[in-house]
Amino acid sequence: MSDLPLDGVRVVEVGGGISAAFATRWLAGYGAEVIRTEGPAGLLTPDEEVYLLAGKRRVAVPDAELRELILRADILVEDGRPGALAARGLDPVALRAAKPELVVVSITPCGQSGPYALQEHTNITVHALGGIMSITGMPHLPPLVNGGSQAYQLGGMNGFSAAVTAYYGALVQGEGDWIDISLQECAAGMLELYGPRTEHTTKEAHVRMGNHTSATWGIYPCVDGFAGVCCLARQVPSLYQVVGEPELMQEKYLDPLQRLENDPIVAAYMYAWFAERTRAEIIALGPPNKVPFAGVFTPGELLDSEQLRVRGLFDQVSTPSGVAKVPGRPFLGFEWRPLGHLSGPAEDTEAVRRDWLGVPA
Amino acid sequence: MKQLPLAGVRVADLSMMWAGPYATRILAEMGAEVLKIESPRAWDNIRTLVPQENAPEPWNSAFYFNDYNRDKKSVTLDLAQARGREVFLDLIRHCDVLIENYRADVMENLGLTYDVVTQYRPDLVMVSMAGFGKTGPERDYVGFGPIIEQMAGLASKTGFPEDGIPMKTGISYGDPVAGIAAVGAVVLGLIQRRKTGRGTWVDLAQRETMAAQIGEAFVAASLRGEDPVRRGNRSARWAPQGVYRCAGTEQWLAVSVRSDTEWDALAGVIGAAELAGLPLDQRRARHDELDARIEAWTAAQDPQDAMEALQAAGVPAGRVLDTLAIHDDKHLTARGYWVDLPHPKSPPWRQPSTSWRMLEANPQLRRHAPLFGEHTREVLSSLLGLTATDLAALESAQVIADAPINPTVG
Repeated sequence: MSDLPLDGVRVVEVGGGISAAFATRWLAGYGAEVIRTEGPAGLLTPDEEVYLLAGKRRVAVPDAELRELILRADILVEDGRPGALAARGLDPVALRAAKPELVVVSITPCGQSGPYALQEHTNITVHALGGIMSITGMPHLPPLVNGGSQAYQLGGMNGFSAAVTAYYGALVQGEGDWIDISLQECAAGMLELYGPRTEHTTKEAHVRMGNHTSATWGIYPCVDGFAGVCCLARQVPSLYQVVGEPELMQEKYLDPLQRLENDPIVAAYMYAWFAERTRAEIIALGPPNKVPFAGVFTPGELLDSEQLRVRGLFDQVSTPSGVAKVPGRPFLGFEWRPLGHLSGPAEDTEAVRRDWLGVPA
Repeated sequence: MKQLPLAGVRVADLSMMWAGPYATRILAEMGAEVLKIESPRAWDNIRTLVPQENAPEPWNSAFYFNDYNRDKKSVTLDLAQARGREVFLDLIRHCDVLIENYRADVMENLGLTYDVVTQYRPDLVMVSMAGFGKTGPERDYVGFGPIIEQMAGLASKTGFPEDGIPMKTGISYGDPVAGIAAVGAVVLGLIQRRKTGRGTWVDLAQRETMAAQIGEAFVAASLRGEDPVRRGNRSARWAPQGVYRCAGTEQWLAVSVRSDTEWDALAGVIGAAELAGLPLDQRRARHDELDARIEAWTAAQDPQDAMEALQAAGVPAGRVLDTLAIHDDKHLTARGYWVDLPHPKSPPWRQPSTSWRMLEANPQLRRHAPLFGEHTREVLSSLLGLTATDLAALESAQVIADAPINPTVG
């Protein structure tokens, strides 16, 4: 018997964007059988398809048949416009009434209700609405969007965890739910201290601080790229010891408030110190000194990481262009089904109709 | 009334700072009873990370702590003392979940490994979320959110092309990303326990959950050897796309044109009808010029009005909501997203409600963040049967406390 935690769980993905596809990717890896109905063409790039669709069964069926598939599923994940499912005869309320244990996860830019609900958005425009962008980037440049598609990805990750949470509720209580996930809200609730501080204390918008929240919390150029450090107040003395500048061991550079007043001086020492070292040299000084150092690494460099190899992070996906390596299981502790096979569009339609609906080939 | 999905689940929460507390905030929103356990000597640094002038009890009045720890109960226990550890393990007998985000070696140093805690609760779901995981040559690296995004590849993809500088996110992005994933890990453990009767130990590396956020970049790197291209706010797929200055101080609008139709609509709105019909390759080639034309229009516009004008024409546009404007955004307000939550040691402020709107179970913010040790006596007496005499002895030994023993340490 399989030890996959979601073995036997059936999932239907409708919509086709990054958010729904990412949410169901982790469901598939932990054992759920995921069928994906194709959304509008071109929502995903070829690289996104390799990453997000491997390990799923891809089908194209009429809406009436899709309804039957959904009613045989435990979880439906979709990221279409509000109302789009209902217009196809797949109203989540009706689906839930027909199958009370069904979990429906709807991921949209701004949620199912409210004045922006039917607006048109892309990753960058909805990321703008979420607040994170306003505090990302250099103060003299426009606000900056994160690399990749972080608004969509956040929706997908929230979608995964919300789906399994509601599914657990359905197991215990016999009833699922319809979960309305807004990409705007996913971001707006994680503005670290900056959102709460504005609202609670300053009543002023937080300004962008580039790569330096302070001299001891930032990214610096180094010999072979960029490296970073992030110290809490209690870690600052250790950082100064590592940097080896006796000048820094004064109260005006150690005291949390005085240090900020003298931040440019501390930063000058940091620039000089980082500039003479490689990322590897800097990072190696972290554990023995309990100083949080980092290097800025590219995905290509991470593919060669001994740490990630030892921990078995990457799955391999066979593609017509070769074997792609992609992040696999998000955490260790459960059996994971490597998502190595990439079906073509609608390739699995007949097999799914047979297996789920009993329709002979 | 329909119950929340995690009703009846009790969580022992040893997590601190932001990653773990973000996870346990969601668990609490979903109905779990979260017992936030801190030592009187080694408590959650987030309580005093931001200096508060003249605050009589800064550990209780910090907005940073109180925002991410609402709906939880506070229990103090010094795990470094034998008696504290003993009480903790007794408490574990009554918990379904244990979650921690310490540096990789800390639980071992405390003698609280999975092997130990499952002697007291064999079917415990334990989630550890160290920055780099519990195994491998980098397990001892220390990680905060910005460290994680540099080490996971995201920073290499973020930034403008002109200056060559990789950029970090304005928040400690690695923390909540790991927190969201950790909730999934907890619940998968509960699902597996329900199926098999077995507990689970989850080893979550924050770096690895962050790497999952840019999976397509690993495809490009492994198939074609491509390094990330930092494009600023532009798109590799369509044009124009950017963030444009609006009227007012630091007011901005993001605009993203995916198609010829959207371009023609944008051209009409900004008074550049002569540019309608420009095909994608021309829009790419003339991106700088088009940016200037768009900004010539936005610079005279209120960002909200500009967003709504473009949206009315079918053009994707989003106001860059800053940390002030987002609290008054009419859409979030209409959805009841911000909730004015009173706190006994702090003026009330609007806090975000859950991002997981279960439309039937309808989770609501239930209670402000707990005061330091507020529920210690209640929890230890109701679950473990400790008497007033027992509790007095614990307090006398500083195993429990109503205030930090070393309040200046942060």
